[in-house]
Amino acid sequence: MDTAIIIQMILASMGGALLYTLIGIAPGTDETAVLAPVTIALALVGVSPYVILAFFIAAIVAKKLTDSIPVAVAGIPGGVMAAPMVEHAMILKQHGMPDVSIKKMSSGSVIGTIVSIPASFLIAKLILPYADTISSYAGLIFFLGAVFLALMAKNKLLSLLIIVPFALLIQGLRHLYWGLDIIPEDSTVFVSFFLGITIGPIAFSLFSLLSKKHRNSLPGLGNKEITLKKSKKEKGFPNPFKILTNKESATSALGSLIGTVTFFLSPVGMTVFLGEFLTRHIKDPVQRASRAISTMDGLTNASYISGTLVPLIAIGLPLSPMAIGPAAGLFNAPPVFTPEHNIHHILSMGEIMTATIIGAVIAIVITFYITIKYASQICAFVFKYIPHEALIGLFAGLVVMLAYMDAGWINILGTLVVALVSGLLYKNGVNYGVMFMVLYAAPWLLGLFM
Amino acid sequence: MHKEDKNYIEIWGDNVKLRDLLLSMVLCIVFALGGYILAPGDAPQPLILGLIGGVIGFIISSILIKPKRRITVLGEEDK
Repeated sequence: MDTAIIIQMILASMGGALLYTLIGIAPGTDETAVLAPVTIALALVGVSPYVILAFFIAAIVAKKLTDSIPVAVAGIPGGVMAAPMVEHAMILKQHGMPDVSIKKMSSGSVIGTIVSIPASFLIAKLILPYADTISSYAGLIFFLGAVFLALMAKNKLLSLLIIVPFALLIQGLRHLYWGLDIIPEDSTVFVSFFLGITIGPIAFSLFSLLSKKHRNSLPGLGNKEITLKKSKKEKGFPNPFKILTNKESATSALGSLIGTVTFFLSPVGMTVFLGEFLTRHIKDPVQRASRAISTMDGLTNASYISGTLVPLIAIGLPLSPMAIGPAAGLFNAPPVFTPEHNIHHILSMGEIMTATIIGAVIAIVITFYITIKYASQICAFVFKYIPHEALIGLFAGLVVMLAYMDAGWINILGTLVVALVSGLLYKNGVNYGVMFMVLYAAPWLLGLFM
Repeated sequence: MHKEDKNYIEIWGDNVKLRDLLLSMVLCIVFALGGYILAPGDAPQPLILGLIGGVIGFIISSILIKPKRRITVLGEEDK
């Protein structure tokens, strides 16, 4: 690594941190939908893998730090992962302490990051000797992953039943493209199907609106009411260990450590389960809420980082819900990254560590500082000037363009089919993880029938 | 115009107006796809122009469309 690359990594991390500080605040933004397309696009444009990794880590740390801010100031989760924290943040808000909850959550996040990076490297080192065995059974493992996630989904039976049909849809479209000579036999369509699954729920909602009957049955809504509270001015550089009590720091660190070890499980599930479990014994509602949000925020951050780093360092295949979703671009962005040739193969362990640390440190310094000082001002800016329509429009534009890039006009419609089916399944309790695992397992799974 | 629209719908965790959403989607798709198809050079130039196109669409939409949120600020000093 020479100085030029390191400077690029620093700049990319700063850009990632600032961009995702804003995106993190925008309500409802799903981690996979906002992180994966950008990472994939960077890879395809030909940005150096070192820079992509630093950017990604900075982005995820910044996004995790800020997606809890709207929870604290307005009770709206800024992302899927912030949803479990709403209840506890509302308790603090009712007691007139939204700024306390922002500080506690952000500090928990910082602890989560600090704990999970070294812990992830340690776990990766332990898994490393078995990596070759694991990757030679990749297809089988993705299939078992789909079954495992199906058993944890809301609708277990449907999740299990759709594994093979969904694989059939994906491979069917690929064979159609090969058969029509739209793409050469040695290339495959991945990115657009992946994004199709990601935007499935929105696409499905939008297409349902084409039915007049359905449209008329919806309640007409007015403006969304948002109450912001001005936070007090903060002097000097904030110290997370002073903001949290010793007990809060300890629980966040413990939660983060467990979150790191369970990198292969669903982060949302673990957050809800552990966040409640580790704080159940506290009687005072304010203390309990404040302990719960600092722990939960630390844990989500930790499980996100470990879910990315452990598979990336040890195996090179996306074997965690995080790696298969938001971080997918680091593992598979054909033709630049493939499961046989991605950041795992290009960068050494030391280089991955350097990029991670650069990304994480810059994101923490920039975003933590900004969050603590200007939380309510940023919220006001995002809520006032960034229309939700424009965000959805931007993602629609990216998906359509990438679909066209993968396999021409017909694939825009093919991606739409994947999106509508995924959206329908998602609405009926099949989670993203199952569908992503099937997307990876599909070639192997249908190979069994030949 | 003081009468407030009551025909917004909730998508992806926030309220939107269908006509505005359609406008923004068309703008972003046209600019992104247009940038990709009209790019004169080889890869990765089309992708870069496509991404820039998407961002231009986003900026134009942000200027044209008003967010459907009403914000009340509580605090010591009023703006």
